[in-house]
Amino acid sequence: MNGDAVNGDVMDADWPTGGLDPVRRLRVLAAGLNPVMYAEAHLDVSFAEVWAVAGDLEGELPHLIPSIRAFRLEEGGAGGAAAGGRDRCRAVAHGPLGHAADFDVLLQSGWCLMQSRMVIGGMAAVAEGAGTRFAVLGGARPSWLRSGLSPLRPIGRGRGARMIDRARRRVAVRRVDVRESRS
Amino acid sequence: MSQRGRGAAEEVSVTPWAAAEPLVVAARSGDVLALNDLLELLTPYVNRLCRPIALTDTADAVQEALIAVFRGLPKLKDPRSLYAWVRTIAVREAVRVAKRASREVPVAVDDCDGIVGLLGTRTTTELASEVHDVLRRLSSEHRAILVLRELEGLDEKAAGELLNVSIGTVKSRLHRARDNFRKAWVR
Repeated sequence: MNGDAVNGDVMDADWPTGGLDPVRRLRVLAAGLNPVMYAEAHLDVSFAEVWAVAGDLEGELPHLIPSIRAFRLEEGGAGGAAAGGRDRCRAVAHGPLGHAADFDVLLQSGWCLMQSRMVIGGMAAVAEGAGTRFAVLGGARPSWLRSGLSPLRPIGRGRGARMIDRARRRVAVRRVDVRESRS
Repeated sequence: MSQRGRGAAEEVSVTPWAAAEPLVVAARSGDVLALNDLLELLTPYVNRLCRPIALTDTADAVQEALIAVFRGLPKLKDPRSLYAWVRTIAVREAVRVAKRASREVPVAVDDCDGIVGLLGTRTTTELASEVHDVLRRLSSEHRAILVLRELEGLDEKAAGELLNVSIGTVKSRLHRARDNFRKAWVR
């Protein structure tokens, strides 16, 4: 065997870069986090329309998650690489009873992660045929709390499916808004 | 094993740890952003291992390998062995996915540099294309042993432990893999 055939060291930056699409990445994170809520589905709408909703955290997150009344990004917040903005920022979520929680947010095209001291969340989208595969993840952050909530996972799947359904409806609402603004 | 091969194998278990250590610790505590960074760190390595074995099903193999890695992360006894542990999982998952797949097509050009060393010549796009075709005709087990020896530079003992087979099996499998590769190449 020719030892020179060995193809460099493992930290070589020139490795093939073909990675995983955002939904596959969220599946991997779900395996690691064992969250109480994970769901994914195919939506018969374009990726751009889905992400216009999912990526608009301040405008749409309160519509997608009933336990959030308002979600405010810090000034100049995460615009995402495509928008030329930073992809990481801080945010504050306000609950229906007036309580607030600070969040760290990572927002990129098709990819959003957020976490507070107690809660984690994620959304991912990728074009799939003529539509979009959309996935959502949510749960507790501390490991002791995650294991305690694991029996609720069947309920969590239903909550995830309803969140995806709400995203589907918000896409439809936005279409109507666009049509009305043009007429 | 050659000096360079030994160096590559050692770096797998030592150098990357510096970058991965704080991420593993944070990820275990449920830090989703640390998990994201760890995923970005490991994906190219897993991709590099899976691609020559799983061929067109690389995305499935990489996903399955990383799911197994992230699921097992809390149970990893010595986090300093992260990369060796990841390599074991990635190769096994790639072989499993390749066996499951019904079709196989050539690997990417970049992945064949080490394998081309078998022929004692340099890589060109045309040559690499022919190498892809030859690799496609090998079994997933033979591709796996070639990846471990030619790309990762593992010795026979380490390769045997990783594939869960004896050194004798590694030797015979490697002999057949090289033999089949050369025969297919001559044709």
